[in-house]
Amino acid sequence: MNRRIFVAGIAVLVLATMLGLPGDLGAQDKVVKIGLSLPITGADADGADAILKGAQMAIAEINAKKGAGGYKLEAVVFDSATPAAGQYDPAQAATNYKKFIADSLVMAAVGPVMSGEGKAISPILSEADMATITPSSTNPDITDPKFQSQYRPKGKAVYFRTVTTDAYQGPNMANYLFHTQKVKSVYILDDGGAFGVGIADSFQKRAGELGVKILGRDRLDPKEADYKTILTKIKGVNPDGLYYGGVMQAAAKLATQAHEVMPRVIKAGSDGVYDLSWPKQSGKEAVEGWFCSQASPELVTSQKLEAWVTKFKSEMKRDPTNYAITSYNAVHVIADAVSRTAAANKPLTRANLRDAIQATKLGSIQGPIAFDANGDILTRTVSIYQWREGEIKYVGVAPEK
Amino acid sequence: MSGLDVVLQQVVNGLALGMMYALLALGFTMVYGIIELINFSHFSVFMTGTFVGLTLLNLMGLTAGSLTGMALVGALVALFVLTMTVTGLLGVVIERICLRPVRHVSGTAPMITTIGVAFILINVMLLTWGPQTQRFPQLLPNWRWTLVGTVEITFKQLVLFVVGLILMVVLSHLVQRTTLGKAMRATAQDADAARMMGIDVDRVVVLTFFLGSALAGAGSLFFGLYYGFTAYYIGYTTGLRAFTSAVLGGIGSIPGAVLGGLFIGLTQSLGGQLLGVKWTDVIIFSILIVVMVVRPSGLLGVRVTQKA
Repeated sequence: MNRRIFVAGIAVLVLATMLGLPGDLGAQDKVVKIGLSLPITGADADGADAILKGAQMAIAEINAKKGAGGYKLEAVVFDSATPAAGQYDPAQAATNYKKFIADSLVMAAVGPVMSGEGKAISPILSEADMATITPSSTNPDITDPKFQSQYRPKGKAVYFRTVTTDAYQGPNMANYLFHTQKVKSVYILDDGGAFGVGIADSFQKRAGELGVKILGRDRLDPKEADYKTILTKIKGVNPDGLYYGGVMQAAAKLATQAHEVMPRVIKAGSDGVYDLSWPKQSGKEAVEGWFCSQASPELVTSQKLEAWVTKFKSEMKRDPTNYAITSYNAVHVIADAVSRTAAANKPLTRANLRDAIQATKLGSIQGPIAFDANGDILTRTVSIYQWREGEIKYVGVAPEK
Repeated sequence: MSGLDVVLQQVVNGLALGMMYALLALGFTMVYGIIELINFSHFSVFMTGTFVGLTLLNLMGLTAGSLTGMALVGALVALFVLTMTVTGLLGVVIERICLRPVRHVSGTAPMITTIGVAFILINVMLLTWGPQTQRFPQLLPNWRWTLVGTVEITFKQLVLFVVGLILMVVLSHLVQRTTLGKAMRATAQDADAARMMGIDVDRVVVLTFFLGSALAGAGSLFFGLYYGFTAYYIGYTTGLRAFTSAVLGGIGSIPGAVLGGLFIGLTQSLGGQLLGVKWTDVIIFSILIVVMVVRPSGLLGVRVTQKA
């Protein structure tokens, strides 16, 4: 008797599951899930939070307007930072993307935030023919055809960006420091991460071409407390400028101690230190004068986006960043690709969506978005900023030469 | 700065850094000397101490430059007493709940327990304070003096150095010359015999933990005041070097901990200057291996106490 009830129960459950499968019940239930894997805890949490909220705002807006091509968008959010790392963890990012792939409704992803994560997940995406759109990771190797066998073994681009790469971000900062700040000698540090090392390399190469004297290059351990040793060494060679390639964990301490040891040296970083919580972490006086960059045009203060920024602030209860906007647009790229796939009556598969994303020609709030064959955005603007009195101020577009 | 000046400046930096490691190694090595327990939770107690200090500073409403002169000294004394009491009590709680029940278990069980406690503390601090670097108010004045040429020593470095040496002398005196110290050493040699002689072994062990953890609390305030930040992971990185200092100096030896700390600090700063800071850990641990192979008991390897 009990056994019969059990079998009957199972049968009901199986039936219910089959009937309940989304997509089988008609248009109103058609869902496309977008995977979001971001380091929402950890040292870079503030930047990741802005990026997450940019994407969420886009999803909410698109759903309010009947979705994309009849599909409702749904975010699947995973944290890619781990307590052990205290910041983003490439292994965790890989796990998250494998979970996305295991969920048949996840058709594309927005992310990752960090290039270190990107290197870990790009080959996984290539295997699954699934596209991701990163709003912030800028290491050029991931999309470089030279490393195709490593990062996209199946050949087709799967790693698209709504920001440009460090092939421009690092060198353009070198151009700016040389032409505008008249920096003639520089010491270069990185934080040992994939992004930090890559951008420091590209900065160093360009600085060398410009004839800036490279006085040295060293690597910070992000978890070390004492940077006085390296700063004393740098002070000893008396450079005009200090360039730091890396993200916040090391930067938080570097700024405080550099301010103590060599307050007058010109200091610059990348988008890795474009973090609104930096003055809180290191002290207002310590970040004063630091230059940083964004691999996108300046959007937050642009007049055209005033209404958008006001809406973001009131709905998301925080200040936007440029990468909140590139993330917002990443969702729009996916939504646009879903609409076009549906309009062409093609089955909505990851591979078809990837092809549609590749063919993107979208006018967006950051300007036109289109990708080259490797997935890189065609607009290659790098913006320069400076910390002044605890606030990040837009300086201008970095010179391309 | 001339080349020689830079090297001399690195020596000054290295000695101050070494004293920081020594401050942490002192309490750690003392506990080991008395109950022969490698207490990895010590460094997490130190990390917790920085957050205790930060909380107290916030409660007292102290920020950089808000106090000077005697008012500052008074506030600092209160801060040290309170923080050291809290971390001391934390040590007692850890001993009572996690270590006393396994004290008679032979093998590595007690040591593994301390690793567990360390991770619990790390995660509790991570979850309550978040992973970002927390700023520690810079209460101490930024005075600096020129020694020779362009070589400078800061007031903070000087304080660190003087306090480290004083603590070493006081601790050595306590262990070697007082009744409590005698009871500690007796407990270390043979707990059962000590108990038969009328020593309250539990009380001695608790006191040892209180002292060791209070020292960690002092170390945490110096860390915060010196570096101006704290984060949940400092107990691991700084602690690993402090642990190495204690082993290098001869674990259980109080002057050894200071010597080991200074040695590591100097190695770190001079190694960074001559080779590059990316080689720091390679240099430090290579030297550790060499010392351990040549002198397995460490630089000052005569144990203060020995367990039967």
